[in-house]
Amino acid sequence: MSFLEVFQYTRQESIMHSLDPRAKLLLAIVLAVISLLFLEIFPLLIILAVLIPLMAAAKSLRRWLRSMKGLSVLLIFILIFNTLLSTYPNPLNYSIALVLRLIALMTSFSSFFLTVQPDELSQALIQMRVRFEFAFAMSMAMRYVPTLGQEAYAIMDTQKARGVELDKGNILARIRNIIPIIVPLIIVSIRRALLIAESMESRGFGASKNRTYMEKLSFKKRDWAVCIVSLIALVLVFYIRLYIPLPDWSIPL
Amino acid sequence: MIMMENVSFAYDGLYTALQGVSLQIDDGEIIAIMGTNGAGKTTLVKHLNGLLRPNSGRVIVDGVDAQHYSVAELAREIGLVMQNPDHQLFLDSVEKEVVFGLKQLGFAEDEIKERTDRTLSSLGIKDLSERSPFTLSGGERKRVALASVLATEPRVLALDEPTIGQDARQKEKLADMLLELNKKGRTVIVVTHDIEFVIEHFSRTIAMASGSIIADGPTSAVLSNDEVIRLCSLTTPQLTQAARSLHTLFPDVHERLTLLSELEDEIVRILGGV
Repeated sequence: MSFLEVFQYTRQESIMHSLDPRAKLLLAIVLAVISLLFLEIFPLLIILAVLIPLMAAAKSLRRWLRSMKGLSVLLIFILIFNTLLSTYPNPLNYSIALVLRLIALMTSFSSFFLTVQPDELSQALIQMRVRFEFAFAMSMAMRYVPTLGQEAYAIMDTQKARGVELDKGNILARIRNIIPIIVPLIIVSIRRALLIAESMESRGFGASKNRTYMEKLSFKKRDWAVCIVSLIALVLVFYIRLYIPLPDWSIPL
Repeated sequence: MIMMENVSFAYDGLYTALQGVSLQIDDGEIIAIMGTNGAGKTTLVKHLNGLLRPNSGRVIVDGVDAQHYSVAELAREIGLVMQNPDHQLFLDSVEKEVVFGLKQLGFAEDEIKERTDRTLSSLGIKDLSERSPFTLSGGERKRVALASVLATEPRVLALDEPTIGQDARQKEKLADMLLELNKKGRTVIVVTHDIEFVIEHFSRTIAMASGSIIADGPTSAVLSNDEVIRLCSLTTPQLTQAARSLHTLFPDVHERLTLLSELEDEIVRILGGV
């Protein structure tokens, strides 16, 4: 589960953290769209070459590496299965590209989730005219990702203490071992959701139609710059993809 | 026998939870661990069955360093019930939940049946055995979680805050069960804030504050010590308070009494005997 760390907000001072969440959202979407436009190794490497400095600017390169390490089993799995099962002419190339695309997509979104505080996110959504209730639900969901992670570990500990061996046996036994973890996790989450709803209502959630806000987000020059650069990049890449014939970069095998 | 030798532990290597904890727990002891929130009590019991491994120092179970055993291996000998029952319950009936723990440890079919029935009745949840744990109240779920470990009668039983959410009668039932297991020679370790519960039933108390053991000894000595009471954020037991006010009037009454029987004896003595 450690790869989820890269989607978890961390309080830090960095250029990325101080950008307006709306600018970051646009940036993340543009980067993700661009990652989806290519399924060749070389262009995806270029995208990663843009993304990695972004992670560095968010002072989160080490965290990113740790997450990728946690993800490596899945990545290798994707690589092997796609290479074996794919019907494409050059399966290895295709699989490597798929893996790179997954990394690029994860990194794009992580540049957003890693640097946007849940409160900022809901504020951004509200200022984008999303209804408060939805914005709030969104930021609550983000807020509870780490809590859920901790809960999962606590449940694993509890089941281990009862003698459940989580990492023993064949694949079927392991899948069966997930049940004692996943059932309590779901129940605990539902219980907590109900509790939160009750305690919010007892504190007057939704009591007045006109909410006021402590802080308002405002676009600064650099936020505009990020938006403009993102949009230009998007248009440019679309143009390249559609009108410029790309050479065949695949590794000959 | 369990020994901890100078055990230190910090969560994520950053947040110190235990600092140089040393203790010895002999077979057949009944021990209470007390301390403020965040004193390291839970961290300590998690070291007993290997859920946490010391950053430095050693945990020795029956003469062998615990790091040579997996949690599952240790769990056969050392049963641990954690605070939150909801982290444990996952089956659709109370009975199945208790049976699961026993099956996990490989008991025979009729033994499982017998133990399940006995444990459920001892904890007063026999009539709930067909119910889904998820429909029960918090206190009942807690007892189901306790039952699922108590039924296995491990050689060492460690309970983290077992009395939370339990009324006085349920606490008594729990205490009776623990004492009975203790009579059978099982070691019982209980983490709790419940000072009256400890005084009545536990012969030894370990008091903790900010990751260290600040007192370890007979319950009456530990819990009548004002410094310990203060550092553990407890209030002086009512009986000790009574003994103290008696002491101001009759200076020969010992002011550090904790047990009802002791106080009774003193009062009888003052009144000139029965």
